Amino acid sequence: MKTLFTPEPAKIRKAVPQTEFETLFEMELSERSTLGHKPGQFVEVSVFGVGEAPISVSSAPAPSMPTFELCVRKVGNVTNALLSMKKGDHVGIRGPFGNGFDVNLFKGKDIIFVAGGIGLVPLRSFIREVLNHREDYNRVFILYGCKRPKDILFEDELMSWGSLEGIDLQTTVDIAGDDWKGNVGVITTLMPRLSLDPPKTEAVIVGPPVMYRFVISELKKRLVSEKNIWVSLERKMKCGVGKCGHCQMNGVYVCSDGPVFNYAALKEIPEAI
Amino acid sequence: MKQYVVEKPGIRKSVEEELKRKKVCAPVKQENSANFSAIHSFEEIVWGPPQTVIPPKKYFLPTSENILSFRKRDGGFEVEALNAAEEIVLFGVHPCDLNAIYLTDRIFAEKNQDENYLAKREKAVLIGVDCLTPCSPEAVCLRMDGLNPGDRFDLFLTDIGDVYFVEAASRKGEEFLRGEGRPASEIDHRKLSSVRKQRDELFDQEEKKLLPDYNDLPGLMKRNYVHAVWEEHGEKCYGCGSCNMVCPTCYCFDVEDYMRVDLENGFRKRFWDGCMLEDFAKVASGENFREERFDRLRHRTNRKLNYLFDKWGQSFCTGCGRCIKACLTHIVSPLEIANEIFQRQSV
Repeated sequence: MKTLFTPEPAKIRKAVPQTEFETLFEMELSERSTLGHKPGQFVEVSVFGVGEAPISVSSAPAPSMPTFELCVRKVGNVTNALLSMKKGDHVGIRGPFGNGFDVNLFKGKDIIFVAGGIGLVPLRSFIREVLNHREDYNRVFILYGCKRPKDILFEDELMSWGSLEGIDLQTTVDIAGDDWKGNVGVITTLMPRLSLDPPKTEAVIVGPPVMYRFVISELKKRLVSEKNIWVSLERKMKCGVGKCGHCQMNGVYVCSDGPVFNYAALKEIPEAI
Repeated sequence: MKQYVVEKPGIRKSVEEELKRKKVCAPVKQENSANFSAIHSFEEIVWGPPQTVIPPKKYFLPTSENILSFRKRDGGFEVEALNAAEEIVLFGVHPCDLNAIYLTDRIFAEKNQDENYLAKREKAVLIGVDCLTPCSPEAVCLRMDGLNPGDRFDLFLTDIGDVYFVEAASRKGEEFLRGEGRPASEIDHRKLSSVRKQRDELFDQEEKKLLPDYNDLPGLMKRNYVHAVWEEHGEKCYGCGSCNMVCPTCYCFDVEDYMRVDLENGFRKRFWDGCMLEDFAKVASGENFREERFDRLRHRTNRKLNYLFDKWGQSFCTGCGRCIKACLTHIVSPLEIANEIFQRQSV
């Protein structure tokens, strides 16, 4: 018997530490040929005996692969337990859940990805999808901000993205020592460097709650329309399927109505940001 | 729906027949109040007031329920879904609770169907009993559209004097009767109408009035999302979550794992949670998306009168009055909040 709450088995194929607090896991499903996710969707990961936590999928959609990647920050019980696990260990997976990004809406457009800290994790799935089908999209801007240089995730990958033609990568940190040659300051300080074509631009923002307000007002100043701004929100989630009530903001369930929201619609939800 | 008239001993006989075969649960006396519990004899049933402290939702969404078991095996885990559902007869369910069960049924049956709830629900026979007098001064069922259960039961009994007027909305309900009674006549129907008319007049006299229009409750909540009432009431709230626990339409739950002492076998449990509790919307990093008590009170009230009302076309407060009795600071009544906002609204 299977119910809504039955996780399916998965094995850790790789565990690559990214920083002191984050590790990138490659998971392999044994009962399905693919996770079948869209960028922006999440899974519920079980560490049996500890619990279950919602984690964004970080790899691009891969229709014929049983593997997918999760980048996990140790912050609660389940994620602390996950980070102590290694290759060959077993976890449970439910999902993918949530609406994810509708990539078709972004085709032929310029895209600005704005990631704050661990917000790069769900965006990496979308960025990789764009790179896998580069001809479908126009210019790509990636703005990434962290607290300190040592918090930067996917460092090598970022460098390789930045070296690609048609991709403008800008990074910044809040606090840095002398060895940091890049920008210091909040993420909005990167915005004036971009040459935008607002009607043709879609912006995608994922980061800590405080970041949304500043980035959205900056984008509006740069004449990016509200309906071209997309965010993905974090909430406490237990079930992932619109029942348990924890992720609700006003009348909306983040787990099943979101986590991806268009800002023009989000404006009507006072509890959103 | 079929209508019968059944002599009172006939109902007793039906209950006693069920008792031989199934678990029968009904309100029974417990200290100074009542509680739904398994009965062993017909005499134990509390028909009218007092109302049960905890609504019958506990039979479909238990306070704590094992939803998975897991055990270590071959370096991995063997996982089994658990869904303990038993056949029960729920006898003596009042209209406010029948309406509440109907509403929570909608929630658990929509989209991602929750088998743990639905299996229990399917195995239950709901026998409702009409309330002919308000069960407490806190009850506002007539105002909140909770007094008339329509066909939201298997069987529904109304005391029309020497006999029960019995409405059967399902085969399960018919089976419970076991052929007791006779089809209701024109005279029986007239008797029922007159009993219900008297009932409605009594409830109308006794129950606190709802000042705004019932159908405008979602609108009233939307227009007054920012209103001093939220802060004023929120300031008095202890954040104890009692209102959530006793509410027949509160269904939010938490999920946790428990490992046995052998550290090889464990369970995943789900148990009641409440949106009025401080940690309800708090994520692991420490961010709390409804940090203030007034935020949480507003959320709870809006769920009852706005968000879910909008979605399902009916108030999710069925007026049972339990939260009002449970609230230590007398701030939580959805009806009174709506009245206060209505009287003081700026728009």
